[in-house]
Amino acid sequence: MINATKKWMFLKVSSIILVPLMAWFIINLVSVYDKSYVDVIIFFSTQPSKFLTSLLMIVAFFYSSLSISEIFEDYIHDEKVKSVANKALTIFAIIIPLITIIIIFNLTL
Amino acid sequence: MSKENPLSPHIQIYSWNISSLISISHRIIGVINIVALTLVCLWIALLLLGETNYEYIKFFLQSFLGKFLILGLTWSFSFQILSEIRHLFWDFGYGFELITSKITGLIVIFGSIVLTILIYLSSKQIF
Repeated sequence: MINATKKWMFLKVSSIILVPLMAWFIINLVSVYDKSYVDVIIFFSTQPSKFLTSLLMIVAFFYSSLSISEIFEDYIHDEKVKSVANKALTIFAIIIPLITIIIIFNLTL
Repeated sequence: MSKENPLSPHIQIYSWNISSLISISHRIIGVINIVALTLVCLWIALLLLGETNYEYIKFFLQSFLGKFLILGLTWSFSFQILSEIRHLFWDFGYGFELITSKITGLIVIFGSIVLTILIYLSSKQIF
């Protein structure tokens, strides 16, 4: 399987996972965003929110990294700039969800 | 063999129609959503500052601007959800006919508005 096909497969599989996760998250975010500190902590630190939010972060940033690299491919002409942009994107897509998941798993009242 | 790939034509070359509008919106909203999700990560990180400091964040989120941002995020998520489903149908070989493509495009546009209203009202337990 060539790399472009692999990338397409990863995009589609992550998209199938992402659709229900995004729906679940936005419904719950609207319910909880203006609640008290305790309510927000309870939401993020209990199951299934803890697991589903962590999964959302991993899949969403992975999906974004793949799809934004397609935007770079289409619109960035300079190969060096494109390479740096793609590397920065990959680092961003690993670090942000990783830090967030560590925080979620350490939230306590 | 040249390593220079052909670049996509710039979007202003084509005349606008529903398909092109949804296509470019899908990309732009995808980027907006990942920026918004990064802000959600920041919001989660700010919980570490404790209950007293969180009062400032809560004050902002309960303000008009805070509610507007959440409503905007609900719409952009709704748009991406519907647009992704449209793309997935295409991937399985359905919906390529011109009329079907226009109808599903309109469903994405108007459906995202309806979905935003439904999610917001149901989350606030208005119905």
